[in-house]
Amino acid sequence: MAVFSFREALNQAMTEEMERDDRVFLMGEEVAEYDGAYKVSQGMLKKFGPRRVIDTPISEEGFAGIGIGAAMVGLRPIIEFMTFSFSIVAIDQIVNNAANMRYMSGGQFSVPMVFRGSSGMAGCLGATHSHRLEAWYAQIPGLTVILPATPADAKGLLKTAIRSDDPVVFIEHEVLYPEKGEIPDGEHLVPFGKADIKRPGDDVTLITYSRSLKATLAAAEELAAKGVSAEVIDLRSIRPLDLETLVQSVKKTHRAVIVEEDWPYCGLGAGISDRIYREVFDELDAPILRVASSDAPIPYNKQLEASMLPSVPRILAAVDEVTYR
Amino acid sequence: MPIEVTMPKLSPTMESGVIAQWLVKVGDTIKEGDVLADIETDKATMPMKSYEDGVIAIIDHKAGDEVALGDRVMVLAKKGEDPKDIAAKMGSAGGAAKKAAPAESDNGKKAADSKPAAESDEAEELVTTAAGGRVRSSPLARKVAAEARVDIARVRGTGPGGRIVRKDVEDFLAGKGAAPAPAPTARPAAPAAPAAAKAPAAPAARISTGPLQEKRIPNSRMRKTIAQRMLQSKQTAPEIHVTVDVRVDKLLALRETLNKELAAEKVKLSVGDFVTKAVAVALRRHPALNATFEPDAIVLRGEVNIGIAVALEEGLIVPVLHRADELGLIEIRKGSEALAAAARGGTLTGDHLAGGTFTISNLGMYGVKQFDAIINLPEVAILAVSAAEKRPVVDGDAIVVGNVMSLTLTADHRAVDGATAADYMRTLKNLLEEPARMLL
Repeated sequence: MAVFSFREALNQAMTEEMERDDRVFLMGEEVAEYDGAYKVSQGMLKKFGPRRVIDTPISEEGFAGIGIGAAMVGLRPIIEFMTFSFSIVAIDQIVNNAANMRYMSGGQFSVPMVFRGSSGMAGCLGATHSHRLEAWYAQIPGLTVILPATPADAKGLLKTAIRSDDPVVFIEHEVLYPEKGEIPDGEHLVPFGKADIKRPGDDVTLITYSRSLKATLAAAEELAAKGVSAEVIDLRSIRPLDLETLVQSVKKTHRAVIVEEDWPYCGLGAGISDRIYREVFDELDAPILRVASSDAPIPYNKQLEASMLPSVPRILAAVDEVTYR
Repeated sequence: MPIEVTMPKLSPTMESGVIAQWLVKVGDTIKEGDVLADIETDKATMPMKSYEDGVIAIIDHKAGDEVALGDRVMVLAKKGEDPKDIAAKMGSAGGAAKKAAPAESDNGKKAADSKPAAESDEAEELVTTAAGGRVRSSPLARKVAAEARVDIARVRGTGPGGRIVRKDVEDFLAGKGAAPAPAPTARPAAPAAPAAAKAPAAPAARISTGPLQEKRIPNSRMRKTIAQRMLQSKQTAPEIHVTVDVRVDKLLALRETLNKELAAEKVKLSVGDFVTKAVAVALRRHPALNATFEPDAIVLRGEVNIGIAVALEEGLIVPVLHRADELGLIEIRKGSEALAAAARGGTLTGDHLAGGTFTISNLGMYGVKQFDAIINLPEVAILAVSAAEKRPVVDGDAIVVGNVMSLTLTADHRAVDGATAADYMRTLKNLLEEPARMLL
């Protein structure tokens, strides 16, 4: 297995899929001439030409709509948002058209496409560039919502997303792009709806995804030093949700903490804890706790921004609380 | 000045109370009227309320402790006072007062009590071995307890706010040793001497329902109270028993008529309701029976408050129907029903139990022909009511079938002479045989 960065993994996934299937194309702001705002599409214009790697003006609603139309007539677009904070401009297209089309047309149309791009707090980008909107998209029936945390998962999941016959919202964390990791050689696909137990444990289940996996694993390491064995589950796919893996884990540990970077109120963790409560109420020895970002707009100031995030101390405090230590 | 809170008198006969459950902890700010703890008295579990505002500085006793009337149970800091200073200065009420209740020494409490004193921090005060209160426990703890057939209320919670978690149940089970309270069908572990078991092996095989086992049931507070009060009654009150047979054909006919009329209101009068009414009316005419006996005086009571003995699974309790002589039959029915329901639900309050002047004990529903009841001191008499049943009755010179019930008055001969008792019973018999006389 060779080591690649997260952005290289995404580049490989798109490149491999475009080589495999000439219906696949990439469209977005600065994806072509500039090689991508975060260099995810580096070299792709040279390789596939301007017909398949297309620069757009700042017009999210427009190019998202073009992508949906293209998908409806048989192409497989990848729409890149420079950041998912800007996808709000295209939300009417994504929610009213992409997500609903198969249902509204009685199955006559499908929308095989991927909306992908960066998201999350990256460091001093201010309130309008740092949103975590996964809970918004995960609420919409018709959308698949994927948030990889490692290069291997990024590649395997994006390839699955491009091959999906339904619209996929594929959210990459800006901070993860330079992260390196091993990627299996050859064809590597990761299925949707399958969470990954990144670290097994017996005393408490830590449920997380995307960037927060890193802090959660670090917290699990500290807990191990204190004699608490934490199981860390990376959801990878938040819709569909792998409830079965969560249920099996909580049945074993009887305690759970959900670590999420989105806002707490009506956040993703609220929906997940609801499902767990209903499935394994009698197995719980403590309430399920959630460690989310602070319930406020994201500050520009670096220290304030960092203090909003789920951090190792906050995760440890939550674990202490559910294990009554 | 800090406020010392003492064990209040929550029932007229209470001499001490067991703290069933603390509902507050050291450091809590409380207002007048807040419930501080559930207290088991000799009769019921009752809330202990605060009469002051303040911050709790000291709690002197753990849940499960028995505290004598008037002994200090906690200290409150008033506004402007530092609870920590007070705790340091006033300390605990001392070892003597802290003695744990000798009663109900179940293993859960034993295990808890055997913890070293140093460990008894704030959480120790928050014990949830509630008798009547809500038990805080995790779903998993409840599941584990249910599987092990353990009453979770007996387990001590160590989680936040005293929540019982799985570990607490497991510790409780470990403290108990082997399987807790095995199912009734479970076979005994056969600890008997092996040699002895060998010889008379035969009989065991014959018994299909399983061997009878010796079983020790610790006396509850209620059982101890009953034992003590009944013994006191029998030892101190020289009894006289007066029995009359009452022909109740007219009463039964009247009851049927009235019940038909009351059917729409969903009220159904019982024979016992008529008896209660008649007893109360008769007491108005014979105040000597509506009295209490004190060493230097007989106190004729101002109201006719009828105690109605209610049998519970765990014993006997006598809630009181106040001013029963002034109540109509419907009010008596509804009042008795409410009292019985409260008694069975464990929600009787001090008011329900106080002020009785005469007690009725009715075993009619069991088909009892006649029995003697024991006087509920300091009252001077009690009436035992048996079943109304068809019996041969001499009517003129003929023998006919009539509905008859036997009533037996037990009176305290220190206060009531035979003639007085008999006179009362004659009045009662008259009222029940001609129920219309109750209107006079």
